[in-house]
Amino acid sequence: MTHEVSPLPPLGSALSRRSALKLLAANIALITAGCGKPREEILPYVKMPERLMPGIPLQFASTLPLGGYGRGVVCTSVEGRPIKVSGNPLHPASLGATDLFAEAHVLSLYDPDRSTTCRRDGQIAAYVDLETELAARLDKIKAKNGEGLRLLTGPISSPTIFRQIAALKEKYPGFAWHRHDPLEDGSARRGATLAFGQELKILPRLADADVIVTFDSDPLGSGPWQIVNAEGFARRRRVRSGSKAMSRLYAFESVPTVTGAKADHRFTLAPDQIGAAAVALAQGLGANLSGRELPVELQSVVTAVVKDCSDNKGHALVLAGPSQAPEVHALAHWINQHLAAPITHQAASNTAEPLHKLLAELDAGEVSALLISGTNPAYDTPALRIADRLRRCPFTLHHGLYRDETAALCRWHVPEPHPLESWGDLRALDGTPSLVQPLIEPLYDTRSLAQLLAFFAGATDMKDYDLVRTTWAAQGGTGFETWWRKALEDGVIVGKTPASIQPGEARLPTLVPGSKATSPTLILRPDPTLYDGSFANNAWLQECPKPLTKGVWGNTLGISPDDAAKLEIEDGDTISISVEGREILAPVRVQEGHAPSVMSLALGNGRVAAGEIGNGVGANAFALRSAGEWRLDNVAIRKASGRTAYSTQKLFVIDGDREEIFPVYALAHLPAAKSELPKPSLLPVHDYSQADARWAMVVDNTSCIGCNACVLACQVENNVPVIGPEEIARNRDMHWLRIDAYALDSDDGRFGFEPVPCMQCETAPCEPVCPVEASVHDSEGLNVQVYNRCIGTRFCEANCPYKVRRFNFFGYADGQEYANLAAEVMHLHNNPDVTVRARGVMEKCTYCVQRISAARRGAEKEMRPIRDGEVRTACQSACPTQAIAFGNLNRQDSAVVRLREEQQHFSLLESLNTKPRTTYLADIRNPNPALPESRG
Amino acid sequence: MSLVQSADEDLRLLPRDVTDARITAAISDPIIDKRSRWRWWIAVVITLPFVGAMIVALFGLFVFGVGTWGINTTNVWGFAIANYVWWIGIGNAGTLISSLLLLTRQPWRASINRFAEAMTLFSVSIAGIFPIIHLGRPQYFYWLAPYPSTMTVWPQWRSALVWDFWAILSYLLFSILFWYLGLIPDAATLRDRAATWPTRLFFGALALGWRGSALHWRAHKKLQITMAALAVPLVCSVHSIVGLDFAASLMPGWQEPIFPPYFVVGAMYSGFAMVVILSTLIRFGLHLEDYVTTKHFDAMALIMLMASLVMGLSYGTEWFTSWYGGEHADRGLVAFEFTGHYDVLFWFLLLFNVVLPQVFWWKAARRRLWIVFLVSIGILIGMWLERILIIWNTLGHNYLPSMRHIFITSLTDWTLLIGPLGFFAFLFLLFARFFPVISMYEVRELAAEESR
Repeated sequence: MTHEVSPLPPLGSALSRRSALKLLAANIALITAGCGKPREEILPYVKMPERLMPGIPLQFASTLPLGGYGRGVVCTSVEGRPIKVSGNPLHPASLGATDLFAEAHVLSLYDPDRSTTCRRDGQIAAYVDLETELAARLDKIKAKNGEGLRLLTGPISSPTIFRQIAALKEKYPGFAWHRHDPLEDGSARRGATLAFGQELKILPRLADADVIVTFDSDPLGSGPWQIVNAEGFARRRRVRSGSKAMSRLYAFESVPTVTGAKADHRFTLAPDQIGAAAVALAQGLGANLSGRELPVELQSVVTAVVKDCSDNKGHALVLAGPSQAPEVHALAHWINQHLAAPITHQAASNTAEPLHKLLAELDAGEVSALLISGTNPAYDTPALRIADRLRRCPFTLHHGLYRDETAALCRWHVPEPHPLESWGDLRALDGTPSLVQPLIEPLYDTRSLAQLLAFFAGATDMKDYDLVRTTWAAQGGTGFETWWRKALEDGVIVGKTPASIQPGEARLPTLVPGSKATSPTLILRPDPTLYDGSFANNAWLQECPKPLTKGVWGNTLGISPDDAAKLEIEDGDTISISVEGREILAPVRVQEGHAPSVMSLALGNGRVAAGEIGNGVGANAFALRSAGEWRLDNVAIRKASGRTAYSTQKLFVIDGDREEIFPVYALAHLPAAKSELPKPSLLPVHDYSQADARWAMVVDNTSCIGCNACVLACQVENNVPVIGPEEIARNRDMHWLRIDAYALDSDDGRFGFEPVPCMQCETAPCEPVCPVEASVHDSEGLNVQVYNRCIGTRFCEANCPYKVRRFNFFGYADGQEYANLAAEVMHLHNNPDVTVRARGVMEKCTYCVQRISAARRGAEKEMRPIRDGEVRTACQSACPTQAIAFGNLNRQDSAVVRLREEQQHFSLLESLNTKPRTTYLADIRNPNPALPESRG
Repeated sequence: MSLVQSADEDLRLLPRDVTDARITAAISDPIIDKRSRWRWWIAVVITLPFVGAMIVALFGLFVFGVGTWGINTTNVWGFAIANYVWWIGIGNAGTLISSLLLLTRQPWRASINRFAEAMTLFSVSIAGIFPIIHLGRPQYFYWLAPYPSTMTVWPQWRSALVWDFWAILSYLLFSILFWYLGLIPDAATLRDRAATWPTRLFFGALALGWRGSALHWRAHKKLQITMAALAVPLVCSVHSIVGLDFAASLMPGWQEPIFPPYFVVGAMYSGFAMVVILSTLIRFGLHLEDYVTTKHFDAMALIMLMASLVMGLSYGTEWFTSWYGGEHADRGLVAFEFTGHYDVLFWFLLLFNVVLPQVFWWKAARRRLWIVFLVSIGILIGMWLERILIIWNTLGHNYLPSMRHIFITSLTDWTLLIGPLGFFAFLFLLFARFFPVISMYEVRELAAEESR
């Protein structure tokens, strides 16, 4: 893409009346002169670009960052534009699956609010000017041995950047690199130091764990290692005929998490009580500690957990979360060591200086040039008054995808290329490196961090490609090119994963008596769909329902029903939350699972300079922090007004026949396998057993952790539009696949998740009611929707017992888009194999019929039947826990046939006799029989 | 109900001193004369803002899309369908009065059948708009008709909506024919009394050369009775099929075999309530106290009393079968009706439709116009509530708790609820101004019979 240089003066504040008129006149002249159609030439390829066949998508392996760490992906590109991200099975942080952030990157790439040009003091500037100014400054700095040159980044893991930083340090001895991660778990770092005398990286191997105990920890929640944790957890809990083994998860939590939702036992406790429980657990395992007396019920619980852990030595592990004190983390280390827990320890290779040191230097006026890249302290640490401090630095350069809050404070701004349009490299959380390769020419005139650092180091006009290759040049010896090609093809570099270390004997921490704080406490969490806030301008993520609240477009203050009743607060009320004079407003969400006087709130919302989508959505919980705390005590709350909570699901309690909607079984009390008796029918029943295929899906509710990867994958694959908060408030959610969350009967803050796509009923209630035959069956029994035949009577959705059909009340994707989603560049993300639906038309899940069709074409070309597993729906391939199986019921060897015979198999609303093709495996829990309430 | 069979004074409908000339003058003069039209003009001016609002709302609907209704993913139907059922219900009474009462020889119908039929015409026409403007793509509504398209696609005949299409269409066409048939002798009267040539031309064309010969009368009577016989099944079918829109489904609270008869009675119920209201207004507006008498109101009140009992019984049957059937979804729905988000509306529904009409057990109440009038307004409101609650309760309280959402009304909803009422009044005013609101020849016939 090229950008012509505008012959007109830049539009600044200094536009006088006279020059405005001049511009107007020039415009009129241009319009008159420019009448008629622009001259365009179209030419066929003279020389066909290698591999590029019109209509045939290409796939490339790459890596996408989350929290600085990479997850391997395979990107699908159609005629030069990336449209879909899938997992890379070879990559250790992907294992073939994705998370919602990886899926959502496609939209971020085409975000019209992305920064497109270099700017000085907010005005468009040329790179040449930047280079001139920077070169002069660097000369001065060089003369002073590099004193005053500073780099501030977010969490990064790129070997190339590390190499460049090391090189800069050599060239400028006074140079320092500072790292700022708003989601840093300070407790974990200090806890490791307490236990082992050094900082460590801890990677739990949930697949090897039979007993998992969490203390306010959320291993299944969002993060760069979520996919691996989820996969391991689910693998250990897959109950099939013949393998009834299942791990057991105890969650000690003060606020609800996804992990707690999936637990076999969840104990809602105040944070200090959780610490006390951890102490009691350590004591029970033989630690010489003096701890507080626990309440009797809790003591009996801990005793049972101790026994369970001791019985499973080598397969039991304990995890502490960021809101717990470092001592609890240290205790967890001791317990894990004592239990020989399946945990990998790695050396933490953090050579960067912390942010506060940089701030001190800024205050002292010691910084003469500062490059800020990939981090947004002005937003996520407002208590530090970055604005005042940056003013003391004569040369500040912001580098990022957006002109965000921090960019506004810097003299220069350089746009960053999106990871899908630049070369690079990243390490996974376990240190495995992989390459980042571009799927598209950069959309705008951007510079990567590697290029900027190269310029700092004195090399101009360096290409990312060369910089990355230099880093890895030593690999493969003379066969570097072969090595390089293989690394790109595989999307992972093997043999470069750092070895695990034996951290030595874990020391028991000295316990400080837990503060008997009874004041309201607030527990902060990363947002399940926006993470640290850097994704705030992604409309897909804003509209993705949070797993436990189903809230969209903003965060909510979670509070227990008892507290709400005490404070006379109702769901949806706006609450002012203040800590030491720092105050924010958020709507309330009353939810079971919060300990008394403990509230929860997600970080990552309330951006002010995110872009048209993300600005002003939600409350900025970062504003309550003073220095990276995850737990805030002495929180004052009072009723206020002005905020609205938006959600896609209102009722979480099953008022209906649980057996038909969301059955839950204890592992010890699984139901007898049902022999499905054919129900009588007055109508002739069509027999699909002779059809080429009888597509079916089986969803395992036990495995589903509600992570939303499938929801996003479906949205990306099927061009599902975003409708915006106002339309959500009118309950017009468009997601083809939704994840229903239902509270378990035990009312202890546990939830079950049930992904609901179209059931593809064989006797579909939507079909006979359509007056124009827009809802019909195809030869394979798939329930298909003919968009251009649909006139929008909506009788089909009225008659759908599952309410899975979605209606275009407005032209959400076709002329009446939300906010900036109508921008021309946005059209690039659409999947060309899926129709973009017009206003007034009903749509729904198609089982990714375009993928079935592609597989069928491929099979027919080779004159063979479609193989089992050849068609993978978007939701299926995204799922980190492999909760979704898809296949052909007419093939006896297919996975779905086997799954349909499992004893926990059920159909949603089976008594309606809709004969759904999508069926479920019930949620199975594995309660400890020694504990009361061991009901699943 | 043999109100007129004897010559008993108490059962006479018309005053003793009516003559044919007086009847004709009372009804035709307001059409021919140009004097004292200020009341008419005031009424027209009052209706115009409603008509304007309706046009604006329809325009907005076509420009911005069907999303301007308050409907949502769960409650995919809303005001449009409720209004449609309500208007069709009102439209039911006109033809019912003309046909069923003609066949059962109820002479009191003579005074009210003409405007009741006009009411049918207008309300069915208005009702017919709603299914179209409720469509996501209203421009393609004609796909419900089996026209020879190049795609050779036909409507899907199992869908109740296709039956609906035919039911409304045939009912509307039939109603026009029936209304026009009754108008022919009166058009001839007006042709003969017309003061200006355009009026004469207009009614002359409508009269189709009616000369009042015995042959004409004989053919007319025969055709009228035949059409009345044809009308009765149509009257029942149109609202039965509307009932099937709901009953031929899988949703709790909808899939009930009681729906077709229950809808027909409900339609008659609200239709009579509307006739009462129109009778009152016409009687007042055109000084027709002699021809629309308290005895008419008495008779209509009795019919409404009967209908209210049937409605009460139907509601009770619904609750009983839900409980007795034992389905969780059905029982939950009934509980939701009484205690859920729309409970207040539901209690009002029962009050208006079942409780209040019980005053009609007393003759004194039946013969007090204001009581009949107010109860009728209550019935109209109650019946509209019934229709909207059938939709809101079932769709909102569906099988899966996760998809239970409430309905949030929009400006379009309210405008297209209120606006068409004004439009209806506007059409009716035009009718009252340009056509004989009461069938002159039938009232003359009645007078002759009574004085015999």
